[in-house]
Amino acid sequence: MSRSLKKGFYVYPSLWKKVLDAQQSDSRRPIRTWSRSSVITPEFVGLNMEIHNGKSFFPLHVTENMVGHRLGEFALTRSFRGHQSHTQKK
Amino acid sequence: MPRILAVEIPGNRPLPYALRYIYGIGPTLAAKLVAETDLDPSRRASSLSEAEINQIAERITANGIRVEGDLRREVAGNLKRLQAIQSYRGMRHRRGLPVRGQRTRCNARTRKGKVKTVGIQKKA
Repeated sequence: MSRSLKKGFYVYPSLWKKVLDAQQSDSRRPIRTWSRSSVITPEFVGLNMEIHNGKSFFPLHVTENMVGHRLGEFALTRSFRGHQSHTQKK
Repeated sequence: MPRILAVEIPGNRPLPYALRYIYGIGPTLAAKLVAETDLDPSRRASSLSEAEINQIAERITANGIRVEGDLRREVAGNLKRLQAIQSYRGMRHRRGLPVRGQRTRCNARTRKGKVKTVGIQKKA
């Protein structure tokens, strides 16, 4: 179920401030955030983000196509490298 | 067999059912189209006159309903966008796994297809 339009989009308030600052000052420095549930708004486009995936920060350059998605959708939290091979095991 | 919108060839079934053979038209839309065109729902698709077929086609375009190629292209475009931006949903589509957070430990057969055994290979 999608969020009620009445409430508007959600962006973590202090992140929002940083985004607006970065947009104004044309900052290239990535913005670090843990707020994976924040929605990417048009203001984010062109910024460099670093999104926490539970362990480290995942670098992301925001493009126009990403608007409307949440930051966490791009930083995967699991690393599946295939099942263990049982051949060496005796 | 009548043709609606150039390609569609629904069979000898009652109208609300025949229209559903068009990609993008389901039960609700089919019923709505029949009601809007004032046709008898019990009539078979083969009994439609040229004019009546045109009437239905016109309703489809007038309502801005996307069907067939257009719709397929739109859906494919959506998938492509999700995959192009490297989103989680796009990755799941690419791998053919469930996209909306379902479990994959068991089941998930609709997305994964027929069971292929993986894992332990017994030594001879």
